[in-house]
Amino acid sequence: MQTRDWDKMADEAFRLEVRGFFQKQYPEHLRFPAYHLRWADTKDWYKKLVDKGWAAPGWPKEWGGMGLSPSKLLIFIEEQERHGVARTPDMGIILLGPLLIKFATEEQKKRFLPPTLRGEYIWCQGYSEPNAGSDLANLKTEAVLDGDEYVINGSKIWTSYAMDATHMFILVRTDKQAKKQEGISFLLVDMKTPGITIRPIRNLLGVEVFAQVFLDNVRTPAQWLVGKPNQGWTMAKALLGFERISIGSPKLAQTGLKRLEAIVQSQGLTRDPAFMDRYTQLRLDVADLASAYGRFADLLKRGETLGPDVSILKIVATETFQRLTELTLEAAGDAGALGGKVAFRKDSVDILSPFYNARPATIYGGSNEIQRNILAKNVLDLPG
Amino acid sequence: MSQQEDQNRMLRDAVTTFAARDTSIARVRELRDSAPGFDKAVWKTIAELGWTGIMIPEEYGGMGLGLSEMAAVLEEFAKTLSPEPLNPSAVLAARALLHGGNEALKKKLLPGIASGEILPALAWQESEGGIDPLALATRAEGGGLNGGKRFVFPADADGYLVSAQSGNGPVLYWVEKGTAGLTVEYESRADGTRCGRITLRNAKVSDSQLAASGKTAGAALQRAVDEATLMAGAELLGVMSRALEITLEYMRIRVQFGKPIGSFQALQHRAVDLFIQKELSFSVLRDALLHLAADPSGLSLWASRVKYRCSEAGMRIGRESIQIHGGIGFTDECDIGLYMKRAMVLSAWLGNGATHRHRYAALAPAEAAA
Ligand SMILES: Cc1cc2nc3c(=O)[nH]c(=O)nc-3n(C[C@H](O)[C@H](O)[C@H](O)COP(=O)(O)OP(=O)(O)OC[C@H]3O[C@@H](n4cnc5c(N)ncnc54)[C@H](O)[C@@H]3O)c2cc1C
Repeated sequence: MQTRDWDKMADEAFRLEVRGFFQKQYPEHLRFPAYHLRWADTKDWYKKLVDKGWAAPGWPKEWGGMGLSPSKLLIFIEEQERHGVARTPDMGIILLGPLLIKFATEEQKKRFLPPTLRGEYIWCQGYSEPNAGSDLANLKTEAVLDGDEYVINGSKIWTSYAMDATHMFILVRTDKQAKKQEGISFLLVDMKTPGITIRPIRNLLGVEVFAQVFLDNVRTPAQWLVGKPNQGWTMAKALLGFERISIGSPKLAQTGLKRLEAIVQSQGLTRDPAFMDRYTQLRLDVADLASAYGRFADLLKRGETLGPDVSILKIVATETFQRLTELTLEAAGDAGALGGKVAFRKDSVDILSPFYNARPATIYGGSNEIQRNILAKNVLDLPG
Repeated sequence: MSQQEDQNRMLRDAVTTFAARDTSIARVRELRDSAPGFDKAVWKTIAELGWTGIMIPEEYGGMGLGLSEMAAVLEEFAKTLSPEPLNPSAVLAARALLHGGNEALKKKLLPGIASGEILPALAWQESEGGIDPLALATRAEGGGLNGGKRFVFPADADGYLVSAQSGNGPVLYWVEKGTAGLTVEYESRADGTRCGRITLRNAKVSDSQLAASGKTAGAALQRAVDEATLMAGAELLGVMSRALEITLEYMRIRVQFGKPIGSFQALQHRAVDLFIQKELSFSVLRDALLHLAADPSGLSLWASRVKYRCSEAGMRIGRESIQIHGGIGFTDECDIGLYMKRAMVLSAWLGNGATHRHRYAALAPAEAAA
């Protein structure tokens, strides 16, 4: 275990140290995976992170994190992406941990943070429901206090990694009389509780990564409510900032560009000026995305909070990546609909998985239509 | 109503009946990633309906109809997402044989193709792909074929019409499955069908198997490929029309923020843009068929115009339909993904949008068009 004061280190030295660790310790065959890895695939790697004391880079040291400042955390993530380190089912670390640290009681922190850090508790995020997607505040799953327990009824959907999770953090309605956003609470639930049924859902790639979770008279201790009753919405929203910048990272697009480059060379497309013009356009889009990312990252590094204009980043990152995967299919020509690794002259490339995986990025985390609504209203100050 | 329109209406009605009685999305799902990837019993039904012989002259046991009738059937047929290789066998392969010069071979094979007893495939592309049928690396010499063919669909055919380069120019041979020296490997495609990668190691062929040679072979290949390319446009039109219908229906029933999502102007404009692309696809295909009925020259140009528009529109409607569906659009259980995947396959097949944009530019230089 290392408990060093990372923030005293110069950025470059820190970067090299992180890079060196990934290069030495991260399993080669898991680099740049073309599809989402499951817990079974990443468990051993996670164990290494735990042993090193690096499992929760953003958490404060007192809870076993690295205590990184936003700027160091960004460097850590950049290096992770640079090396193609897969994300583990890390919602407990990235989403729940910071929320608990900010809003939970001491007892709750002691009860949940250490096992989460050690990878004993794997969390899934139970927000969306069949009729509450973009309109999340419309959620209907209900929790009623019965003695010292909440009794939960309803269903959650698109819950990523529900099959791997031991626990779920969930938004539930605790006051049906209050205005939509004001009757929502934030609860923790053990996935082994009687009354929980999981229906895995196959995605476009043919694999089961998300699921529908049915909750039928599921009982969870009243002490597992985080924050105050009916304050769940505000708490959940308070944490969106950092998520929005990480979804706007240029790394996916940069990796996609490398894949495309191999095909461009193999197919002799460098001799096709019309293609090269569109390819160059995309390269500029990726480069400028990186600049935009840098601009928002600098704000975070200076300790400022991000405004609603960070939505720009999500739109540009996800749509650039989509267009890139589309041009990749086009460049592959006749092979543009072949599944699995396709052999091109210079390299073997999986072209369909990135194309499919690029699709939901404009749907989750607030769809791009919703992001545009936010920008129109809160940044451009347009009426309506 | 003209006789032509009458005829097409009847053919379309027959497909509607087929769609209700002989196939379903459940069947399409079942057949994904299976071998051979389609249902031989359904293929028999298709043949009994006469569709395998639409473009085979009556003297060879077909219906002797043209591109317009075939397009009507393929557009409707494609809406069902049936994996049976109608265009590849009944147009691409059958027409290459028909446009060739071996009368005896035509008499031997075409009636069986029309009746559905023989399932042929045209093996014309080399491993790098590309749409020039005369860019041939496979060799015919000393009574044997040597080389490799790729993107062959159906992969499990009863026989393959294999193009090759000989000492006297291009040749096209009929090679039955199981011929010594011919091996088939498989590559899976986005929609769960599979295409063949054929290797020929001195596969013996005789003159009786020679479907065409020299100039005739070149012209037969070009014409058959162009006809099938045009017909792939009709299939794409069917796929995108159905995908758009499904998406519009979803926009009417899916409620968020207390309203159907179809009431949000951002989505309305998107839907209208998709509709416009579908209408352009319909227009260029219709125009192509009208022109070609009057004057069959210019087939390559029309094929490129149609395939360009329909490939791009089909892909776009597929992708944006997923977006408009939200989370459910990313699932396997929602049908919309099946339409996108078929559009991906049809769009990549026989030259994608970009490839045909290029060929259009070469065939119709801007100065000449002005
Ligand atoms: C791969 C994946 C993983 C996910 N993981 C999780 C998870 O772990 N936990 C979780 O809780 N959720 C998760 N989600 C759910 C995700 O947050 C929702 O899919 C998202 O909020 C959209 O909701 P929806 O799917 O119901 O689509 P809808 O809200 O029904 O949207 C359908 C379409 O309508 C558009 N639309 C909606 N409202 C408007 C409007 N006002 N103006 C214009 N257009 C509008 C949308 O942009 C979209 O195109 C995941 C989703 C995906 C695809």
